[in-house]
Amino acid sequence: MAELDETARTAVWTELMRKYSADGDTIGINKADLRAAVNAIDTYMNDNAAKINNALPDAAKNSLTSAQKAIMLSYVVLVRYQVEV
Amino acid sequence: MASGNTLLIFSPQQNEPPASNPATFDTRNAHLVLDFDAATNESAVFSSIMPRLYAGGGLTVYIHYAMSSATSGDIDWDVAFERIGDQQQDIDSDSFAAVNSVDNTTVPGTSGLVDIVNVTFTDGADMDSVAVGESFRMKVTRDATSDTATGDAELVKVEIKET
Repeated sequence: MAELDETARTAVWTELMRKYSADGDTIGINKADLRAAVNAIDTYMNDNAAKINNALPDAAKNSLTSAQKAIMLSYVVLVRYQVEV
Repeated sequence: MASGNTLLIFSPQQNEPPASNPATFDTRNAHLVLDFDAATNESAVFSSIMPRLYAGGGLTVYIHYAMSSATSGDIDWDVAFERIGDQQQDIDSDSFAAVNSVDNTTVPGTSGLVDIVNVTFTDGADMDSVAVGESFRMKVTRDATSDTATGDAELVKVEIKET
């Protein structure tokens, strides 16, 4: 999978800002810095997708769909950082 | 009455949302506010009659706002007037004059603190020549595509004062 295009990255960026606003989360960076962070995470995920996939045991790696792996990854990250969505 | 007097005060519930990209109602600790998005230029529109105490001078529009989440960055606001008057404006269409702005205001370092910024208008075309006793509309827009603060801006109140 390639990096997200500009439209998709913008959608992530705007949705993040709306979530922060709805939650009343304090954000100490400006829009440009937040957008740069979104871009950086996407680039990192693109560059390291194979590495994450290879970290899975063979059963999961070979049987789960990409979407199922993505949900598993996001759940683990959210729980690790105690984030409620 | 003349310079320095408050002419009108608008609260969020007086918003007459425009057809496209309207600011949206929200509450913050039971304060009714209008949310202005961080990625799209959204607007609120307020209508009234220019009070009889108005002496024909320029106007200063004070915008009272807080940020939903941002504690850094800056914010830009645009304000424009539309004279409705006495057979001046067919209300089937819009005819707002050019906007005046207050730009690059650093937002409060604490989310929830209400900041007050102001936009000035000279008497005449700058404020679409709104005269005493005439009805008019005023549009307040967050220029989100130009400012840098993340998240929503929350409009709390707007005051119009004769400059």
